[in-house]
Amino acid sequence: MALFEAKDLHLRFGSRVVLENVSLAFEAGQLSGIMGPNGAGKTTCFNVLTGRYKPHRGQVLLEGQDITGRSPQEIARLGVARSFQIMNLFDEFTVFENIAIALPATRARGGNMVAQAYADRTLQDEALEILDKVGLAARADDMAKALPYGARRALEIAVALACRPKLLFLDEPTAGLGSDGRARLAELIRTLKGDLTIVIIEHDMEFLFSLADRISIIHWGQVIAGGTPAELKANPWVQSSNLGRLN
Amino acid sequence: MTQPRTTATFTTAMLVCWLIFASVPLWIERVGLYQYLGVEILIFAIYALAYNLVLGHAGLPSFGHGAFFGVGAYAFGLAQFNLAGNLWVCLIAATAAAALSGAVVAAFISHRRGIYYSLMTIAFGQVFWFTAIKAHGITGGEDGLLKIQRLPVDLGVTSFSIADNVALYYFAFAVFVVISLMLWRLVHSPFGRVVKAIKQNETRARFVGYDVWRYKAAVLVLSAALSGLAGGLFAMAQASAFPDVMSLHYSGYVVMMTLVGGGLVSFWGPVMGAAAFFLTRDIVGAFTTAWMLWFGLFFVTLVLFKPEGIAGMIQDLAQRPKLRSRPAAPVTPAEAR
Amino acid sequence: MLLNLLPHLVNGVTLGLLFALIALGFMLILGLMEQINLAHGSLFALGAYFAFAISAPRLPLPQDLLAAWAAVPIGWRFAAALVFAPVLVAPFGVVLERLMRRTYGRDPLYGLLLTFGIAMVLEELIRAIWGTRDYMLPMPREISGGFIMLDLIWSTYRFWAAGFAILAMAGVWVIVERTRFGAMVKAGAHDPEIVQAMGIDLARLRVWVFVLGTMLAAFAGVVMAPMWGIRPHMGVDAVVPAFLIIVLGGVGSFWGAALGGLLVGLVVGLSGAYASEWSMLSMYLLLIAVVTFRARGLFGKKSVLEA
Repeated sequence: MALFEAKDLHLRFGSRVVLENVSLAFEAGQLSGIMGPNGAGKTTCFNVLTGRYKPHRGQVLLEGQDITGRSPQEIARLGVARSFQIMNLFDEFTVFENIAIALPATRARGGNMVAQAYADRTLQDEALEILDKVGLAARADDMAKALPYGARRALEIAVALACRPKLLFLDEPTAGLGSDGRARLAELIRTLKGDLTIVIIEHDMEFLFSLADRISIIHWGQVIAGGTPAELKANPWVQSSNLGRLN
Repeated sequence: MTQPRTTATFTTAMLVCWLIFASVPLWIERVGLYQYLGVEILIFAIYALAYNLVLGHAGLPSFGHGAFFGVGAYAFGLAQFNLAGNLWVCLIAATAAAALSGAVVAAFISHRRGIYYSLMTIAFGQVFWFTAIKAHGITGGEDGLLKIQRLPVDLGVTSFSIADNVALYYFAFAVFVVISLMLWRLVHSPFGRVVKAIKQNETRARFVGYDVWRYKAAVLVLSAALSGLAGGLFAMAQASAFPDVMSLHYSGYVVMMTLVGGGLVSFWGPVMGAAAFFLTRDIVGAFTTAWMLWFGLFFVTLVLFKPEGIAGMIQDLAQRPKLRSRPAAPVTPAEAR
Repeated sequence: MLLNLLPHLVNGVTLGLLFALIALGFMLILGLMEQINLAHGSLFALGAYFAFAISAPRLPLPQDLLAAWAAVPIGWRFAAALVFAPVLVAPFGVVLERLMRRTYGRDPLYGLLLTFGIAMVLEELIRAIWGTRDYMLPMPREISGGFIMLDLIWSTYRFWAAGFAILAMAGVWVIVERTRFGAMVKAGAHDPEIVQAMGIDLARLRVWVFVLGTMLAAFAGVVMAPMWGIRPHMGVDAVVPAFLIIVLGGVGSFWGAALGGLLVGLVVGLSGAYASEWSMLSMYLLLIAVVTFRARGLFGKKSVLEA
């Protein structure tokens, strides 16, 4: 049984069909990729998988449990975290607090109106450990809005990591990064692989092909191909499409 | 190395403010003002601090908070006439009634933000106001509830009368200190930080697992409850409860004083705003009856050019002499006041 | 028994037409801007007050001028008010638009606080100039008073007011559907970038739309003044139905606004039949009900009203 599955998802916005018969499966411990041209429905797919939209038909299963139509916060609490293509950070918080607020330990005490939010040493250590992983420990006390772009991208992912998820969805994590940033990001993801199940939406074929165990291609709201990077390289559609600039 | 990330129980600014407030009855008449002004400022400082939970802290535009303040005032009076002439009972009644009102409103609006939220608060405010005017039997209609008394502070072993303005002032001051300590703690508690996160990015807050609706509802109920407490004090101060405090106009006053003081960026801002409001009323009001117009223009100017308000301007001045790249102090910038 | 409702029905339809008029102005502005203007109601109020000032001026002008004006038949003075009050209010709209520009692109909270503050300032201005008491707009006898028909008492003015509203709405329809200006407004609401690419000055377009919206609100204020009376805080009673109508009828639909307006007007008018004091309240309760039960995603396009 796959850790996370989507079965026959259908979604319409008004009269426009945006997802049709989308079925995906993500195995535990693997890194899966989702590729496709702009507007193909990749982010919409993510939104359905993480609870932002409810599909008209189809199921979303986490560890065999039906989570279709559950709210984003419920799904997050079940161990699914995501990062966003257009960054969603807490700009007025420090880098430290961006992480600390996402930690399950903080979440569990969310109703507490008297204690100090982050006085707990364990909690602080946890947060700094995550910041270390993404290379932001030195900037812990900087305001999120003051960070340079690359650091914000790293923070964007770090916040998702802070949720201590079983499954991490990353939506175009390399967007706007230069080759240095991309290399660093690839390194980071490699270190996360194995502990986490990761699903990445990406445009950068080279990036994705070097990391993913399995890739699905979505076009016009449908899954049109899927397989290992090697299999896909041989796929004629991939070769002939704009995506096929990998050789 | 991890640095301690805790906040003090109160800041120097707060302490200085408390000391100043504590001394006010001693000199207020010498500067040409009067004791009751101090009472008004304190009551509205409590109200504004409570209001700012929703505006500054949660980023929700409530333009109908007068409803909660008014419910508190009426509840205080009604409790006094129908339940018991006991100060604590009446204050609890005021707080509870306002909390209940807050809960009703919260049930309808907590899934919204922005313009919908604000229009709904306006609508609810108007509904409460109309009801207060029309329900003669309970609320005394347009004239309101009259002859509300200042009940003695009964501490078991002793009892103080607060019929005198100075005594009432010190009682209000005690409430003010307690409430500000409470709210300061709240703002730095896990709950407070989650609310602050929701203000900045509701979507992300949801996706990291927080039930945003519950937090928004809770913060409104809390804010309503404390506004009602202030309303109860107000009923004693004015010896009456009347519908006007629930009007949109009156609700606007607390919005203005909160922002002018700097509630959007500062915990203590609303207190300064309350003081500024009433001082403007009495000082500018001595020259022109249109003082409210001037205060309103000041408010609009600040929203346009300096929404951080008075507190923001003080923060700017305080930061200028220091060159700050990375703060060396253990207190994070967000907590430095 | 049901027959007794007829005058209230007429009242409701009249109110509805006037609400629709305000909503149209509101909607035109909303189409081109990013923010809801809570001060829109103040423009309505100013319309009423300026109408009052025009028909019965108490300005520090030479006495003979005032006397001459007072000698003019009230019908002409009322007509002058209908025409010129909106013109006098128009500059306020222009200023409002300029001030709101500073809040574009920022957290919507600032736009709300700004327009709320402006609404309060305008109300205070009204209080400062005209005081807090209620005023009645003087009207020619021909269109005021009542008459009896079918054994019921009807208010003459209601019919005239409905007539004025229909005329104004027809005017708006012509402007929006049949002029170049209207085409630009619709295009600008749909796709501001294309409009700019075509060389149209979006900023100036906005100003003119604001002027139109302002004048519609002010005109409604004049027409409604004999029905609602003139009070400093009459503004909020106008902005709430405008918003409500947009929630009901959608942004960008002329007939949506018209029908939405009728619905709201009928609710207010008919509830007045049962308890005149509660008729205003019904409007607020209707808003609460509609916003509570109308699901998200009401609008075809992503609207500034969302979230």
